[in-house]
Amino acid sequence: METRSRAESQEVPLDVVVPFYLYAAVFLLISCMMLIFATESFQGHHFQPDLLAITHAMALGWGTMMILGASYQLAPVLVESRLQSPLLARVSFVLAGLGIPFLVYGFYSFHLGWVSQVGAVAINLAVIFYIINLAWSVAKSKTENIHAIFMVTASCWLLVTTLLGLVLLLNFTIDLLPQDSLHYLSTHAHSGIVGWFLLLVIGVGSRLIPMFLISKYTNEGLLWAVYILVNLGLLLLMAVELNPALPDLRFLSLILIGGGIGLFLYYLIKAHQQRIRRKVDEQIKLSLASVGMFVIPLIILCVVITGIEIPRPELVIAYGFCVFFGWLTAIILGMTFKTLPFIVWSKVYRHQSGKYRHPDPKDLFDHHIYRFGMVLYILGFIGFLLGILIKIEFLLIFSAALMILSSILYVWNVLKVVFHKAKHHDKPIRTQ
Amino acid sequence: MINRSELSELERRALVHLHEVIDPEIGLNIVDLGLVYSLSINEEAKSIYVEMTLTTQFCPMGDSILKSVEETLNDYYPGYQAEVKLVFEPRWDAGMISEEGQAFLG
Repeated sequence: METRSRAESQEVPLDVVVPFYLYAAVFLLISCMMLIFATESFQGHHFQPDLLAITHAMALGWGTMMILGASYQLAPVLVESRLQSPLLARVSFVLAGLGIPFLVYGFYSFHLGWVSQVGAVAINLAVIFYIINLAWSVAKSKTENIHAIFMVTASCWLLVTTLLGLVLLLNFTIDLLPQDSLHYLSTHAHSGIVGWFLLLVIGVGSRLIPMFLISKYTNEGLLWAVYILVNLGLLLLMAVELNPALPDLRFLSLILIGGGIGLFLYYLIKAHQQRIRRKVDEQIKLSLASVGMFVIPLIILCVVITGIEIPRPELVIAYGFCVFFGWLTAIILGMTFKTLPFIVWSKVYRHQSGKYRHPDPKDLFDHHIYRFGMVLYILGFIGFLLGILIKIEFLLIFSAALMILSSILYVWNVLKVVFHKAKHHDKPIRTQ
Repeated sequence: MINRSELSELERRALVHLHEVIDPEIGLNIVDLGLVYSLSINEEAKSIYVEMTLTTQFCPMGDSILKSVEETLNDYYPGYQAEVKLVFEPRWDAGMISEEGQAFLG
């Protein structure tokens, strides 16, 4: 039998993607565990060693590693070209996987010398290899689409973020910049949050969510408007933050970014309205809801920059917490079980397709554990956020404990999917 | 989408068998999903030719779906040489889902 299959020869190997998922899951657990030991710091200023360590553990170990892994799997779907180098992807995992603990430990112990610098260099190399691989795949693509443009732009912002991070780190020991590193912290954070995470979420979400909903709605013009608004807003924000001589247009920049998010929400609502698949699963519901969650940190940021007389340190910490433990985590928690089971299923059952009855991809994880974990996480998140705002130590500890429990359940479910073995005793589909 | 009125009785039966191939993500069979563009059987040459697409290029499930098509035809038509060709022109869109498929999803 002759079968010509484009997909067959262009599949992304399992060992390229899965290590990223496992690494990220472990880092979510580590980050939640770090919360419980940092409750005192959450009641003070945001520039503290343990808070820096937690932020980077979440942003890099959890968010970025998960997104890099998912990108290697989904980039072919989004850019319509195969992943050009699985080897480069593996190298990027090793570099980032080694670099992140160095960096996080460096921040935690406030050893900003060689320990964190080695970590930052390794992370930058990993990002460069990721961009080379992605750009190479895009260059080989025969079609041009807005999702690929979002992805490439987001990756460039990631490099801007990590390079700036490296320079800020070096600036602690060598005078590289005109002002101290603390002055540039906001620029570093926003290029990462808006440039990397937000643009990537929009680029990937605008393709995957209508695809999972089987929606007839497409509107590339609207996505271009989102792209321009978010990038323009971010460039304006960075320009104002880096050059104090410019008029304070931070509020305008947030309006531009907020406008972009609003249009993206409109896009998702239309896609949802025009869907053919009426029954929407929990993972997609969570992903849809989490997009709207970005509005919370955006409002906090607006309040912070308007200069209203309210305690700012709590708000700045609440902002960071909402971004990493709220918005970003909600998206990833939803999408993990929308992507990982399919990745594993397609490898485990590839050679049994059409021969035996076997579980569906959605049966590879425990839905009860998933739901229970989500409830714990939401309660923990709300409790911790309140704890930051009203400074109640007990509430912070209790909520962190809920989040630890939730992340243990998440890791357990991820492991259940990754180590799923084909069921050999399943009945054949046809018995003749 | 495949034009059923142009199919022979044997081809129509083969198409019915392809209803057993399910898209694992959507849970709907590939025929009602509109993935099968053409199917022809040459009884003299003992060959089956299927032209089909995927909901998206580089679909992670693509390999498994194609394998299922191959296995299904193998089982129902022993002795036949089957060829499954993957095409992306025209591009699949949600409008290609049959009424039965839409009812299943709705």
